[in-house]
Amino acid sequence: MSNKKASVWTSIPFWRRSAAWVTGVASVLLIWLTFDSISQINMGTESDLKNGIDKRVPAATVINYKIGYAMDAKRGHEVPTIGEKQLFFGKEWNEEDAKNLLHLGKLTSQSKNCMNCHTLLGNGAYYAPDLTKAWLDPAWKDGGPMQGMTGKNSVEEAISEFLQHPSQYPTHARMMPDLKITKEESMGLVAFLKHMSSIDTNGFPRNFSKTDEQFKRGGSNAH
Amino acid sequence: MLTSIKKNSFENSESKKLAMMYFRVAIVLFGAQLLMGLIAAIQFIFPGFLFEIFDFSVARMVHIEALVVWMLYAMIGSVYFLMPDETGIETVGIKIAKLAFWVLTAAVTIVVLVFILVQIGPGTINSIWFINEGREYLEAPRWADIGIVVVILIFYWNVFSTYSKGKKTGIMTVLVADLMALAGLYLAGMFFTDNISIDQYWWWWVIHLWVEATWEVFVGALAAYALIRLIGAKREVVEMWLWIEVLMLFGSGILGLGHHYFWIGTPEYWWEIGALFSALEPVPLVAMFVHVLYDWGKEQGAAQAEGKEGSVAKNIPAMTWIVLNAFGNFLGAGIWGFFHTLPQVNIYTHGTQFTAAHGHLSFFGAYATILIGMMYIGLQYAYGIERMTSTFRSKMAVFLISFGVMGMTIALTIAGYEQVLIERAELGATWNAYFVAQDMPWYVQAQIWRSIMGVVTFIGFVYLVWDMLTIGKEQYREEAYIVERAATAV
Amino acid sequence: MLFESMTDVVPSFFAWLNQGPLTLTIFLHTVIILPMFWIYASEKKKLNKEKGLD
Repeated sequence: MSNKKASVWTSIPFWRRSAAWVTGVASVLLIWLTFDSISQINMGTESDLKNGIDKRVPAATVINYKIGYAMDAKRGHEVPTIGEKQLFFGKEWNEEDAKNLLHLGKLTSQSKNCMNCHTLLGNGAYYAPDLTKAWLDPAWKDGGPMQGMTGKNSVEEAISEFLQHPSQYPTHARMMPDLKITKEESMGLVAFLKHMSSIDTNGFPRNFSKTDEQFKRGGSNAH
Repeated sequence: MLTSIKKNSFENSESKKLAMMYFRVAIVLFGAQLLMGLIAAIQFIFPGFLFEIFDFSVARMVHIEALVVWMLYAMIGSVYFLMPDETGIETVGIKIAKLAFWVLTAAVTIVVLVFILVQIGPGTINSIWFINEGREYLEAPRWADIGIVVVILIFYWNVFSTYSKGKKTGIMTVLVADLMALAGLYLAGMFFTDNISIDQYWWWWVIHLWVEATWEVFVGALAAYALIRLIGAKREVVEMWLWIEVLMLFGSGILGLGHHYFWIGTPEYWWEIGALFSALEPVPLVAMFVHVLYDWGKEQGAAQAEGKEGSVAKNIPAMTWIVLNAFGNFLGAGIWGFFHTLPQVNIYTHGTQFTAAHGHLSFFGAYATILIGMMYIGLQYAYGIERMTSTFRSKMAVFLISFGVMGMTIALTIAGYEQVLIERAELGATWNAYFVAQDMPWYVQAQIWRSIMGVVTFIGFVYLVWDMLTIGKEQYREEAYIVERAATAV
Repeated sequence: MLFESMTDVVPSFFAWLNQGPLTLTIFLHTVIILPMFWIYASEKKKLNKEKGLD
């Protein structure tokens, strides 16, 4: 017994020190990574948009541009594309107004509790469709069933109309309830959705553009 | 449970009395959670049920909020319960601790009433301050956030100063460090930003670093305490395991946070970090499982070798729930978590019923089980019962609740599988794709089974409450009777 | 291909490490695990010393 060497494996101080070390280093690494990530997901600026600089999360004024979602061969998945200028609710929004509109939209999305039915960037509840790329959904586009149903002739007008009177436009047995969303709030929400669709989500949701192409060819997924 | 506080065994410990107060609120909120879950489950099958009166979003919000709050109550209760045993002294600031309990309970009541009656507000910052914050799990309005922080500071101050004055065991050291992180992390979820990516970045700091790091370590500490108390496991062995668990849980869990950063706008390098660290997360859960069963078997064998009959555990219902925790934690958090943690899989499963399946089994397996076990330990102490045995009701509770939750999990997994194949892989996650998948028979039938299993769980809960209300008094009387008979026989 | 060119939108230290097979993970795990050998050795030395004094 006495000539046996001491075992470190059953020594509490060894495990305590190791636990402290591992926890400490993992925390420091996480903080380092957080600084790096946050700097990359800060909102871009209007001049980034003008100069064609890719930001993972573009400025609020991205609502003035046409947004697409296309396969990127180099990255191996779909990425949002920011194209030519496009009027939003019939006008071009200056920096200040676009920012305020997005602010109103984000506030409304929280105070109306969207996340406890829908998923945003895939997080939330699973009772209603994912909203990450809802702005790009073929159903809202010209000729799509949702736009047709509301009788409007642009994506933003159609979504805005639907959000104000959701139970008047039943899309499924599972309907969206009337959340007393005002006209301004609904415009904010549409801006919020359009902005979210321009965020680079590393290809989530996958295959979304496939449906879009199918739609353009005149097909649909209706059974 | 209702009369538990009036019993004599509490004369020496106000801290334990306070623990029972926390446990009682916890069990009420647990019931509320299940009721809300039932409403939400019915709405999946009959969408017209309570439409525009008590919508899915409201039921679901209260469902998950009640879950988080009852667990926090039971966790605080557990700390107040074990602290006098571990430190060897009474909790130092018991008066202010009691005040904090009432403040917290009042605040929770107001928050829940506002959730149920007011539900939503206009799109202004005032709604965020006074109605709800609209962020899954962190719905509590800002005023309540601040209240919670104050109450938690009082709680933490109590834990810290009791620890500093009393004996410093390994279990207490882990708890003091863990609770500091747990409380501090809440602050990361208390601000508003227009940038949804940054919003979710910090939101996950709270959610993930709670349930996949600090809460898990908390459970490790509780299991260590329970093993010492229930089966007389050796402290040196238990505490050595506890440090190993801390090492592995934090080592994998902290950077495992990366598996939530695959698709929220954050850079691609999180794929590799999230995948490989979170793939290690089940390892400590296996270790915890082995550790509980090994210690139990060892102590049981030692007792039998000495010629003792019956179980070595002094509290069978509590021991049952703690063993169930070892299984449930590994299955729910470990296996069901690993299912969809790799980005190649997660791109299809993210935001489907897969997540719901994992959520149900892991919250139950990892947390509900051990917290119910702690409540039984509290009951045994409250009535001064030497050996607490299982009643028919406690067995029914264990069986029905585990069977029900497992059934819900399997049903939701099947629903998720169908959703992944049809909505995600085949049709590409549009509005139309979503509803096509929702109407498929595999999905609809799975939702029906989920509701049935939800009812089974609820019946189990009724047995649980019934048992908790009666087991103490009953076995207290039985023990008194045995002592009396022994006395008259002499 | 064993090594792939950086695909992250914004070049950064971690994105740069992320170009080879598991290089980022190997780096992080090494930083975390390697010093534990030193903790082990120092603990062993301490224990043996205590043993010797006994």
